[in-house]
Amino acid sequence: MTASEKQDKPGSPFGAIRVVECGAGVSAAFAARMLADLGAEVVKVEPPEGDWTRRRGPFPKNEPDPEKSALYAYLNINKRGVVADLTRAEGRELLGRLLERADILLHNVAPAERAGQGLESGALCAAYPRLIVTSISMYGDSGPRANWRGYELNASNAGGWAYLSPGASPYPELPPLKAFGHQCDFQAGVHAAMVALAGYRARAKSGRGQAIDVSEQECIAAMLEMNFMHYTYAGRETSRLGQRALGPWFIADCADGKVFVVCVEEDQWQRLVEMMGNPEWARDELFKDRVSRAQNLDALKALMSEWLAGWKVEELFRKGQGEYRIPFAPVNTMRQIYESEHLAARGFFTVFEQPGIGPLRLPGPPSRYGRTRWELRRAAPRLGEHGEEVFVGELGIARERFASLRKAGIV
Amino acid sequence: MDQRPLAGVRVLDFTWAWAGPFCTLQLAHLGAEVIRVETTTRALCVSRSIPPFADNIPGPNRAGYFNQYNQGKRSILLNLRRREALEIAYELVKHCDVVAENFAAGVSEKLGLGYEKLRQYRADLIMISMSGFGQSGPYRKFLGYGPPAAAMSGLFSATGYPGGEPSEIGISYPDPNAGIFGAYAILAALVHRDFTGEGQYIDQSQWEATLPVVAEGLLEYAVNGREPVRDGNHDRLMAPHNCYKAAGDEDKWVSIAVGSDAEWRALAGAMGRPELATDPRFASAEARKRNEAALDEIITAWTRERDRWETAETLQRAGVAAFPSLSNKDLATDPHLAERGYLVSLEHPEVGRRIHAGIPWTMSETPCRVERPAPLLGADTDHVLKSLLGFSAERIAQLRRDGILS
Repeated sequence: MTASEKQDKPGSPFGAIRVVECGAGVSAAFAARMLADLGAEVVKVEPPEGDWTRRRGPFPKNEPDPEKSALYAYLNINKRGVVADLTRAEGRELLGRLLERADILLHNVAPAERAGQGLESGALCAAYPRLIVTSISMYGDSGPRANWRGYELNASNAGGWAYLSPGASPYPELPPLKAFGHQCDFQAGVHAAMVALAGYRARAKSGRGQAIDVSEQECIAAMLEMNFMHYTYAGRETSRLGQRALGPWFIADCADGKVFVVCVEEDQWQRLVEMMGNPEWARDELFKDRVSRAQNLDALKALMSEWLAGWKVEELFRKGQGEYRIPFAPVNTMRQIYESEHLAARGFFTVFEQPGIGPLRLPGPPSRYGRTRWELRRAAPRLGEHGEEVFVGELGIARERFASLRKAGIV
Repeated sequence: MDQRPLAGVRVLDFTWAWAGPFCTLQLAHLGAEVIRVETTTRALCVSRSIPPFADNIPGPNRAGYFNQYNQGKRSILLNLRRREALEIAYELVKHCDVVAENFAAGVSEKLGLGYEKLRQYRADLIMISMSGFGQSGPYRKFLGYGPPAAAMSGLFSATGYPGGEPSEIGISYPDPNAGIFGAYAILAALVHRDFTGEGQYIDQSQWEATLPVVAEGLLEYAVNGREPVRDGNHDRLMAPHNCYKAAGDEDKWVSIAVGSDAEWRALAGAMGRPELATDPRFASAEARKRNEAALDEIITAWTRERDRWETAETLQRAGVAAFPSLSNKDLATDPHLAERGYLVSLEHPEVGRRIHAGIPWTMSETPCRVERPAPLLGADTDHVLKSLLGFSAERIAQLRRDGILS
């Protein structure tokens, strides 16, 4: 970038980055929100019926209302929203106008559906040579299963995560277990946001945009700790069954809730023994090192349970961590997270006013920047809220044409 | 010329556990030169010292965990307890754009590697500290690991089989999660620097980095005062939505998720049970949710008779989202992943060719690649000191004799 270009872009440096988001659900929306949180100008393009997260909730009082979905609001704060029916030529034409001035396109429309929505990467790159076309798909844009369908549950299984979850399970009749929420979709979103910024930096050097293909399955398969290599290094097929690699490692009952007990290093175990008052059994050969303690975990759990049950979770956590340096962790509920004194001291939660829902306490930045500004500054858009502002006000579509497109159900 | 997006960006990497190396792995994938600082004077980093080892033979260069998450990086040895080693680190910082560390809060300052100190050597330095709980607050000195962070983030309390207890989630998820958010933050800081010329410090708490992806649970509480319900593989709206047993005694499963009535009709048809599509028990999503147990039984009766791939292929042809539950072995031998170039097996001097998980994205104009396998412990010490700092072979030999490069 030249010096004069720098001067032309006032305010937050990210304010110069224009992003268009299409698709639906979590992954692309979260990616675009990550950029929006830093100041990028994001226009979200929704189909006439709205994003499906509008229908998912949670809703206040459990009353479904597309303008009151907290998940939709969370994913789309800091964006402007327009409606364009991309299955129709007029809708695709409007998308084209948006893309003419955009730096980054983020979408998660499946490869099989792209042609019908004007979202084929090759065609977009040819039409908009400076655009960074970032697509997220379940299995990638190429390969024999590029056109397969998938939701979060399938991604978790295709990526190899579910097969390992919950881990150390004694119940082979129970299936692989998906983790709560949309974790795979979120991960694909963070990857996409990161690579989109990489594409943006590359363009500063080359002057050219490009197509980025993010595979959700591959994002998850890269995150399996050492499981992938258990096979390729040692020939072991791992699963949710079997035992932990080290011990102690279990969820236990305290007097008022659950605590996660784990000792990663030997010195942590030694201090735990000391904290328990050096019981005789702790010297048993069965518990001599972290591997033995994993092999004999049931016996260990039984011996520790009475001691653990005598503690309140918070007291065990603070004393264990603070005085004995043992990585105890409370098995928190959502309420307990909101009530955390530590998160409050760091000012983590932000109260944010979302029309229709009211004040929401929302998670703060995943990383705290010393200089880059992260902020929640604009409520999530109502369906089509900024259509006129963007299409008529900024892109110069004639007011009459916009009205007729609206009448035709395209915007 | 190297066209990769981070070509020319140099990273000095003091990270040791999993979140940190996963963060800098992304930077290496994007073309940055990542120099890992290691030492043999203390316990080796955990990922070099725990199984799996290649062919079950232990050794710091044989650990799969290390070799996976340090692909494409370099390794140098510095005994940072020695003043001369610290001075070398400071000289290296002058040549680096980014410093990454994931010590417990306060430790980097104690080691002489705090941001305020390091920026004296590189005014526009970008530095990220990835700790368990962040650099401030009452828990800042507490020990942080991925699995405890999952417990603290509500993932255990919200995950579990229907009606069952809070559950673990199989992997140390908050680690790679913090790593990928950290890599994004570094990209953002690089863009910020491109625009303004200024560097910055990034304070990342693993716990805080996990909460944004657990937001659905937090929102449930915020909006309605309710905790999320543990419901196994079921979804609040979609049904059927589960992992179903496949044929045989082996531990084989197939995931099936139906997001619309049209998909449900397609599933019923593919199972050879078109009458189910009009069965009032299953005619709408709400009805299918109400009768989910019966629905799961009907589907299991069908999947139990079939190979998991046959089920998935049959259903995908009909337009239904289905996928087998893949194991590590399934992934490493998967033809689709192989065809996409995802599986990486470069020649490593000690373990030979082993398959690793590669780069989960492609870039059409600036292709990313794994440049080299994970480094042997300290393999690049001489190269880095010569090429970046201009040290002579004699000086390096002397430093080595003095125990500085160990």
